[in-house]
Amino acid sequence: MSDQALLLRDAFGAEHRVDTTAEGVRVEGALVRAERQPSGAIRLEDGRVHLAWAVSSGDTRWVFIDGEVFVFETGRPLARRRRESAAQGSLTAPMPATVRQVVVSPGARVQQGDVLLVLEAMKMELPIRAPGDGTVAAVKCRQGELVQAGQELIELEP
Amino acid sequence: MASERRRVLKRVLVANRGEIAVRIIRACREAGIESVAVYSDADARALHVGLADRAERIGPAPALQSYLDIGAVVDAALRSGADAVHPGYGFLSERADFARAVETSGLTFIGPPAVAIERMGSKIGARALMEGAGVPIVPGRTPPDQTDRGIAEAADRIGFPILIKASAGGGGRGMRVVRGADDAVELIAAARREAAAAFGDGTLYVEKRIERPRHVELQVFGDDYGSVVHLFERECSLQRRHQKVVEESPSPALAPAVRERMGAAAIAAAKAAGYRNAGTIEFLLEGEGDEARFYFLEMNTRLQVEHPVTEAVTGVDLVRAQLEVAAGAPLPWAQESLRQRGHAVECRIYAEDPSSNFLPQAGPLLLYREPSGPGIRVDAGVVEGDEIGVNYDPMLAKLIAVAETRPAALQRAIAALKAFPILGIRTNIPFLLRVLQHPDVQRGAAHTSFLDEHLAELTTPAQASAAAIAAAAIAGRTVVRDPVPESIGGAPPSADPWTRLENWGR
Repeated sequence: MSDQALLLRDAFGAEHRVDTTAEGVRVEGALVRAERQPSGAIRLEDGRVHLAWAVSSGDTRWVFIDGEVFVFETGRPLARRRRESAAQGSLTAPMPATVRQVVVSPGARVQQGDVLLVLEAMKMELPIRAPGDGTVAAVKCRQGELVQAGQELIELEP
Repeated sequence: MASERRRVLKRVLVANRGEIAVRIIRACREAGIESVAVYSDADARALHVGLADRAERIGPAPALQSYLDIGAVVDAALRSGADAVHPGYGFLSERADFARAVETSGLTFIGPPAVAIERMGSKIGARALMEGAGVPIVPGRTPPDQTDRGIAEAADRIGFPILIKASAGGGGRGMRVVRGADDAVELIAAARREAAAAFGDGTLYVEKRIERPRHVELQVFGDDYGSVVHLFERECSLQRRHQKVVEESPSPALAPAVRERMGAAAIAAAKAAGYRNAGTIEFLLEGEGDEARFYFLEMNTRLQVEHPVTEAVTGVDLVRAQLEVAAGAPLPWAQESLRQRGHAVECRIYAEDPSSNFLPQAGPLLLYREPSGPGIRVDAGVVEGDEIGVNYDPMLAKLIAVAETRPAALQRAIAALKAFPILGIRTNIPFLLRVLQHPDVQRGAAHTSFLDEHLAELTTPAQASAAAIAAAAIAGRTVVRDPVPESIGGAPPSADPWTRLENWGR
């Protein structure tokens, strides 16, 4: 393995600089010995021994270690994109779901926490609530509609 | 025995999907019975479909048009030449009209008689029946006026806090706790919608809520000849929004004398229902030790998700026994021959994100490796590479750990969860580990509101350690997968998985 520097962003938005070398991985200066096992697991030594599993998919890296799961991004800052979209006042579907009920109509005044619509996925109801006080500018879905993750559902104006 | 009414089961249609379909198909194979899987368009390539001897498509992805479509399932059974139908749990398993449709088609329903499902499915009827049989019950009713106002008035008369739930089914779907009249309107509407969506019937039941109870249920089993036994209890107090998460047997709260009384009450309940085959009597347990009181909650007229903990401590095979009893055989066990030995814990592995309000997760199982070892059992409906969708229940698998003592069983479950990597979608494994390691759970002190009351500490996401970051760094683009032969008896798979699966992770 040749020396390779990489920036990994964790789910909290913190960035970690790592360098992969022949002996292991240097994480912000500290060396973690890392070795692929024939099973595909990764054996790590940082004073203790851990058996981890890791895969990558696009810009996302998934790690299972000691029963915890961590997701890292190597590409564009996803969390930042999500925050920007929230600031513009659009509410998007968190996952593929069916629109069970649309509670509000365009022009309605809503307060923070009000239920705007109810999604259903895997037989569970997911209420979508107003992130702040405002007016419903547009409803972009219909009852019974199947919506995809990231699809805009409702537009709010402050 | 000359008096036995034996039927021969040669081919069983399994009217379900996921891990329970797999469990039943395996039991059929062991018993020398052919199995027929059913599938919706979303499941055409699912594990259970490939495992069965035959498979029948029953409709598009939405459950109402496939797994909940009685006509489609019965047609599939007749088309495939099946002589019996096993309903599994959920879906049509507690629908008397389904059991009846199966039987009027000349097929054997592997479960109770339709009339017993009907009796126990109606909460009001079941309560009256239980009361008559001397089984203790919780105050509650199905209001004849099912409008929001009618429900609210019934709630008021019983006195808050109350529980509102679907009159037609179990599993916690549509169930809401209402603490006061202010919350009632929103919660009633939500409960009714969920009840209608899950069971096709929005009728609601209102009941006095017993605060801080434990959920303890008794496994019962009856045959064609009037014999009923119980196979002890399962404690299912670790629930979130009335959905069970961890179950165990024995219950850490049950004194032997109370266990004996509950067993007798469960048998009386099953006999009063005219019950046959496997069923579960759910009780609420108030208090602990010899002083504990129990109340009949409901009967689940089917096999339970958590049946493996009973199998683990009693050494029986409940699904095998279901097949035998459905074929007209007498119960394979006498009550005196049944014993509880050791301790078993089951953890339900869900595709959900505990740190995002348990949002169900959809996506590819990029990596999925089951733990194994002494006392470890995994019942799963998925394999690595599957795409997890949003059409059905988010349960992926169940992990069952059995050991000689409760502490050893908990340790075994914890070690196994730490060796159960699932990547590509988030699961509740980190949450389950926090639950099992919590001091209250370790002491066996958890009641049914424990999870909801401790949610924050149980769902706080962990900070990535240097070791976790290092693992991410060398994840690379390569995903390793166990080599899968193209077909049984075909060319042997490559010995080196690395050569086969470069860039498999997309």
